Amino acid sequence: MTPEKKKFELHVPSALGNEKVAMEFAASIAKQLDFPPDRIEDLKTAVAEACLNAIEHGNKLDESMKVGITLTVAPGGSLQVAIQDEGKGVGQVPTPNIESQVEGKTDPRGWGIFLIKNLMDEVSFESTPEGRNVVKMIIHLKK
Amino acid sequence: MAKDLEISIRLKADVSIIDIKGDVTAPTGQPIEDAYHKVTGAGAKKILFTFASDCYINSGGIAILIGILSETKKNGQVVRMTGLSAHFQKIFAMVGITKYAQVFPSEDAALAEF
Repeated sequence: MTPEKKKFELHVPSALGNEKVAMEFAASIAKQLDFPPDRIEDLKTAVAEACLNAIEHGNKLDESMKVGITLTVAPGGSLQVAIQDEGKGVGQVPTPNIESQVEGKTDPRGWGIFLIKNLMDEVSFESTPEGRNVVKMIIHLKK
Repeated sequence: MAKDLEISIRLKADVSIIDIKGDVTAPTGQPIEDAYHKVTGAGAKKILFTFASDCYINSGGIAILIGILSETKKNGQVVRMTGLSAHFQKIFAMVGITKYAQVFPSEDAALAEF
């Protein structure tokens, strides 16, 4: 694989359901790299959740705005994933608590970032100089 | 989006079984809630959710299920789940859903434990 072929990009309109397109895209690349099935499932969920956040909260379901998914093959069998939207910062999301949610004290939403943080090996939430949101994640071949 | 989800309801002895195939997400959540309300309206105290092994479940779907678990707690119902892939069994344990709805490897195993 030549260096210029180590980067893969996909751009999808901000419509619900397109997170599944992104997750299958990521899974197909991980399969080529011989990631084990359980790690591919982790990657699929993390990519889908990051894209959902970008579609719903970053781009506010505006289909004229795109979500960019970039996967870069890193040395040692890791995948670097960047999910970028065109919106402005979405701010901090509190960590969800299922006890509080089942008691009806808090809204039972907000699990996307929790899942991303727990399934990926490294995660950072950044902003571009233009103020756009970028979620950067790294997943290793083996956890 | 409802076309991405198929729901059916069965009764085995005193257990109401809600079969779920397809995408469990916020846009498809209403039929799942409707099925739960239907069995609850019929007096169900024991509920088993069976998921097809290829179900796609995202954070929006998890929120729907937690909302239902909140209602089952208030209504004094016992909930079990089965059919989940290994990945979603892990996710449900990670989130804490398994504290409120035990997950079983098969429908028979779940029915035997009510």
